[in-house]
Amino acid sequence: MLACLAAATPAWAHSGGASGGLVAGLAHPLFGPDHVAAMVAVGLWGAFLGAPAIFILPVVFPLVMAAGGVLGILGVPLPGVEIGIAISAAILGMMVVLAAKPPLWLAAIMVGAFAVFHGHAHGVELPPGADAAAYSAGFVISTGLLHLAGIAFGLLARWPAGRFAVRAAGGAIAIAGLMFLGQLA
Amino acid sequence: MMRPLVVIIGMIGVVAMPGPASAHSGFAGATGFTGGLLHPLFVPTHILAVAALGLLIGQQAPRWGRAVPIVYVIAMVAGLGAIALAAVATLAENTLLGLAAIIGLLVALARPLPRSIGWLLGGAVGLVLGLDSPPDAIPLTQAYVTMLGTALGAAVILLALVQVTSRLRRVWQRIGMRIFGSWIAASAILMLALRLVR
Repeated sequence: MLACLAAATPAWAHSGGASGGLVAGLAHPLFGPDHVAAMVAVGLWGAFLGAPAIFILPVVFPLVMAAGGVLGILGVPLPGVEIGIAISAAILGMMVVLAAKPPLWLAAIMVGAFAVFHGHAHGVELPPGADAAAYSAGFVISTGLLHLAGIAFGLLARWPAGRFAVRAAGGAIAIAGLMFLGQLA
Repeated sequence: MMRPLVVIIGMIGVVAMPGPASAHSGFAGATGFTGGLLHPLFVPTHILAVAALGLLIGQQAPRWGRAVPIVYVIAMVAGLGAIALAAVATLAENTLLGLAAIIGLLVALARPLPRSIGWLLGGAVGLVLGLDSPPDAIPLTQAYVTMLGTALGAAVILLALVQVTSRLRRVWQRIGMRIFGSWIAASAILMLALRLVR
């Protein structure tokens, strides 16, 4: 898969933009620390909540994020996007620190609500000339892999020391979220 | 048991790997039968729709039986036949993305579906994929050979996927299919929005 990703070239048939494409899509979520923090937190929290949340949250997030992305692409304004993203990192990190276990529907609504902000930001920040197909696939895959990274780390919570490490990681994400929020104020 | 997962991950890699789309701009170095054969694999919208359909058929196995891939192949041949009769489907690629989004969503939901839904979706994907695969070749014989390659390639890709996905029975494998389905749906929705805006 990595070989395939590395071999990516622009899909000229669809727009011809060398500035966009798969690499831009893959890199986009990775270059926003606020995005990375929140995505990892989704995975950590899912792992903490256990089945079925461990897979429902990573399924809900990209679908709702796509809806938010469509709003951004269409130019529909969404107030407080950056604040929403920073708050998502702070709250999701806090959920992990507290080992909060709300009902699944509530966790899914929370994650889905935050996904709208992340998707909108991705949609608005789409670089001009980016290839639609490659860029979209790239940032969805990148987001999904960040979730999986969070889940993989979150699975350490099966052991007492791992549980401490996961909650500490949640704490770091929550603090980072508050710092992002402070920078916006 | 790892092999099916490796194949699926490889397919995702291919989906993610953009390349020139032959029907739309020219498929460098690949013409005729080979060009047609590889065409469905290197057009992101095509592989996205076929991957989604393959996941759904495998997920619904054995309830859906073998009829859906057959309906898909027949419909695709009908679509290619329509092209041979000079039919032009201007919205085929957008329709294919819409179908990929719907099918990806169904995979993510992982609910038992009636066989008629499978026939409908398989037929729709096959027909639109055929309609969206006009050969670049000008000589008529070469165009037919290219279309034959396209039909064979699109059929083999789906059948291979179905063979793999229908064997995924472990819980984590079924979960992986649902997650891939959500990725396909999300990608298709975004691609469709970008295509409609630009």
